Amino acid sequence: MIEKILLVAQKEWKIFRRYPSWIIALFIWPVIFPFTYIFTSKALAGVDGAAVDVFQGISGTDNYTGFIVIGAVLWMWVNFTLWSIGGFLRNEQMRGTLESNWLSPASRMVHLLGASFFFILVNLFVMAIVVLNFSLVFNVEFTGNLLLGSLVYLLTLPTVYGLGMLFASLVVWAKEINAMVFLVRGIFMVFCGMTYPLAVLPDWMRAVSRFIPLTYSIDALRKVFLMEATFADVRGDIMMLLLFSVILVAGGALAFKFTEARVKESGSLGVY
Amino acid sequence: MQGQIIVENLAKSYVRRKKGLQYLFQKKEQIPAVKNVSFTIEPGEIFGLLGPNGAGKTTTIKMLSTLLEPTAGRAIINGYDLAERPAKVRETLGTVLTGERSIYWKLTGRENLIYFGTLYGLSRQKAKEGAQQLLDRLELTDRADELVESYSSGMKQRIALGKALIFDPPILLLDEPTVGLDPQSAHKVRELIEEIRDEGRTILLTTHYMQEADRLCDRVAIIDNGEIIALDCPQVLKNKLEEKKLVNLTVNEWRPEIEDSIKGLEPITNIVSNFKEQEGIWELGAHLRNGQKEALPSLLDVLYRNGVQVQSFEVVDPTLEDVFIHLTGKSLRE
Amino acid sequence: MTWQDYLRAMGSIFLRDFYVFTRYPFNAVFRLIEPVVWLAPVYFMSLGFSVEGQAVGFATYTGTSDFMAFIILGAIISNYISAVFWGIGFSMKIEMDSGVLESNWLTPQPRLVHLLGRTLFNVLITSINCIWVALLAYYLFGFSWGDGIGMAVLTLLPMLIALYGLGFILAGIVLLMREANTLIDTSSYLVSMLAGANFPVTVLPRFLLVISFALPITYGFDAVRGIMLGTKTLLPLATEQLILVLFMVVMTVLGAMVFKVIERYCRRMGTIGYH
Repeated sequence: MIEKILLVAQKEWKIFRRYPSWIIALFIWPVIFPFTYIFTSKALAGVDGAAVDVFQGISGTDNYTGFIVIGAVLWMWVNFTLWSIGGFLRNEQMRGTLESNWLSPASRMVHLLGASFFFILVNLFVMAIVVLNFSLVFNVEFTGNLLLGSLVYLLTLPTVYGLGMLFASLVVWAKEINAMVFLVRGIFMVFCGMTYPLAVLPDWMRAVSRFIPLTYSIDALRKVFLMEATFADVRGDIMMLLLFSVILVAGGALAFKFTEARVKESGSLGVY
Repeated sequence: MQGQIIVENLAKSYVRRKKGLQYLFQKKEQIPAVKNVSFTIEPGEIFGLLGPNGAGKTTTIKMLSTLLEPTAGRAIINGYDLAERPAKVRETLGTVLTGERSIYWKLTGRENLIYFGTLYGLSRQKAKEGAQQLLDRLELTDRADELVESYSSGMKQRIALGKALIFDPPILLLDEPTVGLDPQSAHKVRELIEEIRDEGRTILLTTHYMQEADRLCDRVAIIDNGEIIALDCPQVLKNKLEEKKLVNLTVNEWRPEIEDSIKGLEPITNIVSNFKEQEGIWELGAHLRNGQKEALPSLLDVLYRNGVQVQSFEVVDPTLEDVFIHLTGKSLRE
Repeated sequence: MTWQDYLRAMGSIFLRDFYVFTRYPFNAVFRLIEPVVWLAPVYFMSLGFSVEGQAVGFATYTGTSDFMAFIILGAIISNYISAVFWGIGFSMKIEMDSGVLESNWLTPQPRLVHLLGRTLFNVLITSINCIWVALLAYYLFGFSWGDGIGMAVLTLLPMLIALYGLGFILAGIVLLMREANTLIDTSSYLVSMLAGANFPVTVLPRFLLVISFALPITYGFDAVRGIMLGTKTLLPLATEQLILVLFMVVMTVLGAMVFKVIERYCRRMGTIGYH
């Protein structure tokens, strides 16, 4: 099984290499995307950081650049996963290979896991580049407990890819990946606190943001890397991430099984 | 002259660009696609360009329809010089290029016709009337107000044909008009093409289906590797063939060395093979020199000695495909 | 073909784009939600730096503490930028890949008529979108037009014309490229950002500031904000307006020329529709 997953990951890499523009997009976007928000926050902070105190009072840190980098990087990860993993089945459907692949003995789940594994590696690489770029070129300081940060990251993995799998099945039914990605990533962007401390949200919006796993990841990572939090400080976030991991992975797997059953029953769900 | 096409020494070569560093140092390579093609199509004629894929048919059509600039040569279409009056040329040409995507899938059939009608200079009112008439004629009135994406290939092709006809052009250029269609739809399209010719329009069509060229065309130019290698009425071309008889066989297996030994037989001038994957059999076509039926026993003998089982056997008159095989030594479908 | 024929053709192209637009209902609805998605994160970000709704730090850069008005004006202008990059530049690629581009170019209409017809619908739909953004901003973030709207529109007009000239150049470049998505996506984002759609460009580090000053669009953003919000402008207002007029003249001429050259090149190389 593990071997098969690795094989699929290797295949994904080969396909990936053939599209150089993807690689450009992958290296350039993570660096330029946070720029808008970073420069905007710089303008908001004012000449000589006139309003930084205000920000610190609300958010708990004066490192507003680091604050935004963490939010933006995690959001981009979800965005990328929605397109890559979320589009995985849809692409097969469009190519007309969905049915035949699903009928082959090798489990589709293995394929999806293999692809996920590959994209996790890609994502780790990208994150490393972004962190290096912002800490070396823009002098953003990341301190804190790397181990604790890694724990949060590990717990975020199942939520992101569980969501990706759930999304992959949904897209096969709804057939409009662009609109669906825009919708889901839009909701995340508005509610997850990508660029702001949750404290500024109106109550009803804060209630919505509690249902988004990414909210907890961003919050926990900011506490860990900008405010030197300990395990006790982020325990609440970690518990929520665990809960979401279970729900999303189970949900993703169930949706996948259900879609698989329907494909076997009724062909490829009518292409287009 | 109205509806006339004169083509003189038309040629097109593409530049193949090298990738990377070689691009800087290596001389650009010229790949000829069409080499000095000349022909004249008289008004009211159906003229066919027959040849295998990649022979230069589409390139020729694209040059005549002003989408591609010729490297050399000239053409006069409906009295207008291709190079000097491209817009005037376009006003007289109804063109259908290959591929289902030449019309808007997100518009209805009717909207497509009206849209292209006005772009060819019709008033909106005229375009609407013309669209309705064409839809009736193309038997698409029932589906006229549905999006093209829901149409079958045959229906899409008919709308594409309608798009070319809506402004009543004297000349039609049709690039592989029946490719990819099921036999019934292809038949319908061929009937339409004959109707259009009967209205007095000039038609230049390309095809790699020899029966199609045989049935539709008044004259055929056989094109291979960018050159016209024969040009005449289909019947004349077939009559010219020195072999008057051909043998078609189906066999259970085939090997290159058998082909060699058959080619070694004096009365056989040509042999082509084609594997039918679905049935798992080979189709052979052999040309007999001067129709010498005496050669048949020795042909069968070679097959027998090589352990090949003959499943069917037939002696027939030549077709345009045989003309092509005779001229090039290869089959059209390769 | 007379000029009436050209006008009618442009009208038909306009209608065509309109019909196609209505056949992607998801997309149309999304256009209505999109501004909220982009504005909400910066709005809440500004709250993180605000005392009683006033962006105090922001005022030290710009002279106004009305951050949202600043952002919304930026969003409206950058709406046109992305409309030009995607709607004029990239849509050419879509038509080319699908094959309808050739069908269009087989008609006797000059290529410029095709581009202009497409521009017409693009301008209309973008303008409607902008009005929607302003309305939305009025209800959600308390944005109002304020004074100087007439002057602001007059100032922007030459820049918009220039942008569509730039669109023609992009359309030409896209014709040459096998894969244009990344180019359009990245350049549209970078141009908008560096020209100051979201912040006063004076916050940029020096090496980026140089690029920003070299983009005429920067002065469009700056001038409109100067007129409507009373912010300090980078150059005297009249100078900025003159730059925009020059930009218009250069880009319209250059746009038509570059497109023509590239189109001719494609006709010679046979790259349109060859894949």
